[in-house]
Order: sequence, then structure tokens, then C-alpha cells
Amino acid sequence: MSAHDLAVETGRRFAEAAPLNATLHWSQDVLDREAARLSVTPDGPLTGMAIAIKDNIVTTEEPTTCASKILAGYISPFEATVISRLRSAGAMVAGKANLDEFAMGSSTENSAYGRVLHPLDHSRVPGGSSGGSAVLVAAGVVPAALGSETGGSVRQPAAFCGVVGVKPSYARVSRFGLVAFGSSLDCISVFGRTVDDAARVLAVMSGHDPRDSTTRAEPPMQLPVPRTDLRGVVVGLPREYFPADLDPGIRAGCDRAIAAMKELGATVREVSLPHTRYAVPTYYIVNPAEAAANLARFDGVRYGPRHVGSGADVRALYQATRGEGFGPEVRRRILVGTFVLSAGYADQYYVRAQAVRKLIADDFARVFADGVDLLFTPTTPTPAFKAGEKTTDPVQMYLADVFVAPASLAGVPAMSLPIGRDQGLPIGGQLIAADFDESRMLAVAGLLERTVDAVAEVRT
Amino acid sequence: MTWETVIGLEIHVQPATRSKMFCGCATTYGEAPNTNVCPVCLGLPGALPTVNAEAVRLGTLGALALGCQIRERSVFARKNYFYPDLPKGYQISQFDKPLAEHGTVVIESPERGPIEISITRLHLEEDAGKSLHDRLPGLTAVDLNRAGTPLAEIVSGPDMRSPGEARAYLTTVRQLLIYAGVSECSMEKGSLRVDANLSVRRPGDPLGTKTEVKNMNSFANVERALEAERTRQIAMLERGERVTQVTLTFNAATGEVKPLRSKEDSHDYRYFPDPDLPPLVLDAAWIAAQRAALPELPAARRARYQDVLGLPEYDARTLIQEPAVAAYFEAVVTAGVEPKTASNWVLGEAMGGWNEQGHFAVAPERLAALVGIVTDGTVSLQAAKRIFGELASSDESPRALADRLGLVQVRDSGALEGWVAEVLAAHPDEVARYKGGDTKLTGFFVGQVMKRSQGKADPKGIQPILAAKLAE
Amino acid sequence: MKIGEAEVRHVARLAELAVAETDLPLLATQLEGIVTFVAQLDEASVPADSTAVAVGPERLTLREDVVNPIPMRHGPEAMAPVFIDGFFVVPKLGGMAEE
Repeated sequence: MSAHDLAVETGRRFAEAAPLNATLHWSQDVLDREAARLSVTPDGPLTGMAIAIKDNIVTTEEPTTCASKILAGYISPFEATVISRLRSAGAMVAGKANLDEFAMGSSTENSAYGRVLHPLDHSRVPGGSSGGSAVLVAAGVVPAALGSETGGSVRQPAAFCGVVGVKPSYARVSRFGLVAFGSSLDCISVFGRTVDDAARVLAVMSGHDPRDSTTRAEPPMQLPVPRTDLRGVVVGLPREYFPADLDPGIRAGCDRAIAAMKELGATVREVSLPHTRYAVPTYYIVNPAEAAANLARFDGVRYGPRHVGSGADVRALYQATRGEGFGPEVRRRILVGTFVLSAGYADQYYVRAQAVRKLIADDFARVFADGVDLLFTPTTPTPAFKAGEKTTDPVQMYLADVFVAPASLAGVPAMSLPIGRDQGLPIGGQLIAADFDESRMLAVAGLLERTVDAVAEVRT
Repeated sequence: MTWETVIGLEIHVQPATRSKMFCGCATTYGEAPNTNVCPVCLGLPGALPTVNAEAVRLGTLGALALGCQIRERSVFARKNYFYPDLPKGYQISQFDKPLAEHGTVVIESPERGPIEISITRLHLEEDAGKSLHDRLPGLTAVDLNRAGTPLAEIVSGPDMRSPGEARAYLTTVRQLLIYAGVSECSMEKGSLRVDANLSVRRPGDPLGTKTEVKNMNSFANVERALEAERTRQIAMLERGERVTQVTLTFNAATGEVKPLRSKEDSHDYRYFPDPDLPPLVLDAAWIAAQRAALPELPAARRARYQDVLGLPEYDARTLIQEPAVAAYFEAVVTAGVEPKTASNWVLGEAMGGWNEQGHFAVAPERLAALVGIVTDGTVSLQAAKRIFGELASSDESPRALADRLGLVQVRDSGALEGWVAEVLAAHPDEVARYKGGDTKLTGFFVGQVMKRSQGKADPKGIQPILAAKLAE
Repeated sequence: MKIGEAEVRHVARLAELAVAETDLPLLATQLEGIVTFVAQLDEASVPADSTAVAVGPERLTLREDVVNPIPMRHGPEAMAPVFIDGFFVVPKLGGMAEE
């Protein structure tokens, strides 16, 4: 397919998918300009691939709003490093995807521009915060999409929507151009129709960036070498992720996948990550604290719309702009984050959380040093829930992250792979690998993808 | 009723880097507003900081010059507050793990002589932009060119006991940082700023409440401002009032300090380590190399001038004040001039040019040549000073200039005898008085010979001839 | 710990976030719920000499001191809500006046 044909076809699919509200900005004009650019660019590893971009990653051709009113109409004068790398590799950068506002949420119900619908059941959520990107891949609009993870925001919607979602190691992919939320947690991550699609995109994006001081000067990620069996692979099942009251559909899906791994020759054994139960509380101290500081720049002075409140001084400008421009979840996180850093409370909350975070990271390191190659767990405690089901109590929404938050805190790579359906709803299985060991994780996932029927009902 | 004054100073200096602390924008001064900017220093969404290596090196040199211990592992932290010229809503600074700590400088206190002032810490941070309140009525105009410029913040201990000591401390620190090549340290150009803290107490009492004084644009004004604040606090305490912790601004025109509109609550900066920047780790070997690369600092240089070169204390102190003056002096000595003579010339004739033009117009070798023709008697010292004035604008050698200007001394004994004889013949009364015992008239006769010879006679040659003739 | 309207007002002020008086009670309840939830960390036993986790590089890589600004396709004037004579413009400082 020529670049021009790809642009036409992608535009047609964006238009068709409009009711899902997964897209915040796209235009045929931009797609056509991308096609013109690509027709004079030499072929690369991603030639022929249209990729949608979560709208918290800055691009220059279309606005970047982070699904917030405070950035309505904002056009960045620079593009993210990952965008430059994708374009150099021949990808067609195609449209900005909807998200929970500033990536804060687990359902994409927090977007200021309307929630995103689950493609298989419009009354349900696609997960979040990268719900728009997940849906665009699940609905077949694009084969791959960029999302971002701070505490599971790609793996969780990947599981809900039945697509592949991969979070690389922290420090693997440049954050330059990702609108910062939780700086020590944020990872640009990838959705793919297949493991191979996701792996190829990740390999292009990864590697040291002098503009991001938190990237490590390691060589770029290597593409996974396809496997035909899992002999010699030790898979750990952390008991804390398989509680007695785990949703029966989720359990059935995981059991099926585990059986497949054993059949392929993997050694499967139970392990323990004893500090798992502290992960969500730790995450919900660290991320708001960093977010509160990262969002202080949104003040109506240099960009974005401004509101001038009553009282004609600059404080009125700040308070009105931020009060009007941020949605309720963002305001809550800023307030919590400010609180846990404030005088008299910082030691008890923020400092303590960073120390507990180390205990969580050490749990993973210990297990991987003890002969385990990969961990396998459910990605989510339930399949996609209904819109409105968890919006009254913030903590209930936070608990949706129980299986995905730990790997984010530890900075290790993790991914979700579709492993079946429960009453028509997709279920995801999570693989977690040691730091910078993406290739092994993706190779195993690639084999499982060929072995486990992702659309079969898991409970018969 | 004695009161003890306790003063601590915070100095912000701008290390002389080409680019900003956390981005590659230029630090050039005086550009059109909001042109030395980029996504990082504008605080645009998605931008990230990267640390300037030269700022780290200069900060380290400065800290070493101030006698500090360098932390091998220091951490950048976010200092969170809102202000229109603070684009990110936080300043990247350093908090509990600064670059350097525990330094000392020796200052010359006007009251107590040489004393040690402790340097609590030196840390690196970025400057904010500029807010202009008077440019547009009812509005504030913001220029972010300065936002992100590197700063080294130097905090002293509360060790100064008078405004004069504060000034001496500032002079000493400025000199050390200029010697170390860290910064231009110009208050006029904004590369050095001072905030002062002052409290008073009865000797022996715990520390009183301290106030902060800002907006002093010269060392002299720092001294004046602290005098005014000391007076204000003592007056309050003697009236039985309590000093409140306020920030005051100094008005140079009136010499007064005035409290700023008091803020409702003091800042809660909510410091935490900046997650965008890993720790700054400096190898012990690298730190040692910086220490070895430090130029000779003022105290050591003064000691060398006095002990090794034999200069009097006044000369040594004056020569070391500016590194460029000391360098010129040393070049003149290297060119062959005896140190005290060199000092006389440098602090005398040569300083005029330095003060006016900021550099020494006469090359050290030429000054040495000039001194040479004085030493060998070719010209008198007086004549040499005249020649010096020409050297700056002429390529000619000092000897050639002496010839051209007719300043070469006459030492020929025949000529000298002739003039002496003429003078003695013209002043018989003075001769008689001399022979009668008024030997002070020697000077008169020498002066007359100089006049008669139009200044060309060599005074050293006149004396013996005069003595001989008068003895006849 | 108990989070009341006073605490919410205080952090809202620190964060320069306008909060309507009518929203205060619900916010206080929600914040208290969150803070109670995260306080579970009190149960974790943290060693006395524990350090914070280090994700990412162990040490900074420094940038060479050359003038090399990140290029922008448009300047501040294209993005600023109010821009006069080359300056960003905001209302006067009012209660924020200080140095």
C-alpha cells in the first residue's frame, strides 16, 4: 500500500470510528501531508504503519491538550523525541488519541472531551488512562498506538480491550515531549495488534536521548528472537496476585495460559512479592506529589487559555485558570500531592512512600536474581467495568491498578497479552521481566500469542 | 546598654557560562525580551532539564576557593512556589544535599582585625526571569531571558558582627571568586546579588529574631542598609517592642529600610529531589584536579609578595586586589625589574591607564626597559615619568624617546663642572653662608644646576663636583 | 488522619487552585478517604537506614556548555494568551508582591 493509500484508508477508519470518541484530533489534511513526507523518505522498519499518539505526547502538526481544558488548542512548537524517531523509521503519525485528563485515571472517564467507548460494549469503559489509544488499535483503526504509563495506563486498557500493551523499563524510552505527570514513573508505552507490531515500535523508540537525563546510555532494545517453545524458561507466579477472591473469569483465563506455558516446556513455580499490598497506596502518594509539581506550570501565563477571576491580581489569574481548566480528578490529585509534600507531612507520607517503593522494587530484584526469568499474573482484577461504576469513590478506581502498579514503581518492563474472553469481554495476562530484559519478555509473549486463543471463552 | 549585631549574608553569583543551567539557551545579557528562550526555560509541556557541565565545574572551583568540602554526591531538588517569572512553578535548586558545605574565609574586620567567617553551603540553582512592574500600568510584564541562568548560592554562617564586617566579607568573597575565574561578580550587571539577614541581642542571650534585607545594589549600600536596619531593630527593642520576622527593602536615595507588605504565611517550598535529574556524582579524582587547577588565591599571593619578594604590606595588599594588576606586576618583575621598583611603577604611573581603560597599555618589557635607563642613569626618575606617558601611544623604545625628547641626562663631568661653576659664581652670598656652616644649601645649589642645565644634569653626578668646588 | 475544610483550603492555596466553598465538604471527605487509604504504609516496616528507590541512571550525565537551544517552530508570541511589546503580561502582583 502506498503512503497515499494508507492516508486515505486511515482517514476512512478514523471517520468510521468517530462514535467511540477515541480521537481528539485527526485530519485528512495532516494524514495527506504525512503521506507526502513519507513518499520521499527512504523505507524504514515502520514503513506502512500508521500510529496514533496519545494526546499527552507533543506533536507539531496537531494540538496537544492532554484531554484538558487548560490546554485547549495548544500547539507545541517542538515534537517529542519518540515522534521524531517514529517518523524517521517510516511510520505515519496519525492523529491524537483521547485519554484521562493528564493521564490521571483508569477508565478514560476523566477526559474533558467526553469518555471513550469500549468497542465491544459501549456501556463499558476501555480502561485508562490511555483508553483512546487502546480503542483505536482494538477497533482496527491503526495497527499500533502510543500510550503512556505511570501506573498501568497501557497494560490495563490493553487487557480491557483485548490488545497487546507493552511498558518498557523506565529509562528505556525518552520522555522528552511526554507531558510530565509522575516523572519517576512515566513511561511512553505501546499498544499493538500483535506482539510483533508493539515490539517493532518499541525498538525504534528506545535508546538514550541527551535531552532526557533519565534515559540510560544502554544500547537500544533488540527485537525479540522468535521462540518455538519455553524449555528452560522459569516463570514465577507471585501468590499475592492470585488472591482467593480473584474474579473467576480472570482466574480461568490465567489458568488456561499457565497450562499452555507448561505445555510449551516452561518451568512454573510459585513465588512471593511480599510488599505487593503496599503498591497502590505507595503509588497514590508518589504520583500525586510529582504531578502537583509538574502541573504547576499550567497557570495561564505563557500558553493555554486564561481565566481572570474576581480580584484583579495575578493570584486571581492562577486560581481561576487552574480551577476552571483542571477537571475534578486532576484537582484532587494536585491537592493530595500538595498535601503529602507539605510541611509537617512530607516525612510521614512522601519520604516514607519512597522508602516503601524501594522495598517493592527489591521484591522484584530478589525474585529475578533467584532464577526466575519472567513473572506471570493477571493484568486486571476484573474485565472492563461499566461506565460510572467506579466514579463516585476515587479509591475504588485506584484499586483497579492493583496488579499493574507494582511494576511501574519498580521501573521494570511489563506487558499485557490477550489470553481469552469472559462472557465476550477480553481478559489480559501480564508478563513482567527484569530491568532492561524486554526482548526475552516479548519473545515469550510472541509464542504465547500464537498458542493461546485470545478470543476463546475461558469459562465453558 | 550594649547590643550585639548578628549578620549572615546570602550571595548569588552567576558563573560565567555560555549557556543556561538546564538548557542550551545563551546567557547573553541585554537581548530583546523573550528571545533567549526554548521549551525548557519557558516551561513548556514535555520539556526536560539537562545540567550544564561548566556550571558544575565553576561552582566546584568557587566552593574550593571558599574552603568548602565538595559533596561527591549532591542532589537537585524542586523548590515549589508560584510567581509570574518562575515558568515551571518550581525552581530547580539544591536542598539537603548541596554541592558544597563547611567552608571558611578570612576577612579583615574593621573592628576585630583578621577573623574567620564560616561558609555554611554553596549550591547550584537556576535563576528566575524578570518581572517588570512599571512598564505597563496595572500589569506586570515578564521577560524569561534570564530564566534558567545558572546561579551559585553562597550562604554564610551568622558570623558577622557589624555592617563593616559584612562589607569586608563581600569584598573578600568577590575577590576569591574573581581569582578562581568563577564569575565576573558585577553587581551592576547582575552577576552578583546580595541578601542580608540581621538580628540583634544582648551579649550572651540567644539569637534574636532576624529580618531579611534585600534590594541593595552595591557593597556600600549593603553596609548602609545594615546600619539602618540595626538602628531600627535596636530602637524597637529599646522601646520594649518585639522584632517581627519581615523582609525589608533598602531605598538607596533615602538610606532607609522599609518592610515589604507582609506576606500572609511564610513559604512552604515542599522540597523534594527532582525526579528528572539523577544525582550529581563527582569523582574524588576530578575534585582533586579542580583543586590543583585553582590559581594562587589572594592570601597566598600576598604572603608570597611580602615574604618572598620583600614588598611592604601596603604594596602587597594593593597589588593583589585585582588579579589583572597582580599579573601585570609579576610580568614586570619577570622582565627584570626589582620588585619594589616594579610595585612603585605599577601602583603609580601605570594605574592611571588601568583605571581609565581597564587594561595596561604599556607592555611589561617596555616598562622594564624604561626602568633600566633610570637605573643606569641615562634619565632621571622625573624624566622617566614623562617618557612613560609617551610609551602608550608610541612604538619607540624608551631610550629613543629619551633622545627625541631631549631627556637624556648629562653626566659628562666637564659639562657638570661648567654648570656648577656658573651657579657658584652667580650666588656668592649662598656660597658664603654655606661655608659658614649652612650645609642645607646643597639642595639649593643642586636645584640651580638642574635649572641651568634645563633638567638634564644628572643629580648624582652634581653632588661630588659641588662638594669638591665648595671645599676649595 | 482527619482532613477538614481548613486543610483543603490550605493546600488549595499552596497549589493556587480555586475551590468553591460549596465543594469543600465533598473534597474534604474524598481527600480524607485517600489519605486514610495511603496511610496503610504505616504498617510497612522500613529499615532505619533505607534509601529512596533509584529508577533510571545512577548518576547525571552533564551537558557541554555550548549555545545550542532546542529549536521551536514558533515563538512565545504565538502561544501566549497576552503578549505586548515582546513581554508576557499578567495582572499586577497584588497579594503576591514580594522581592
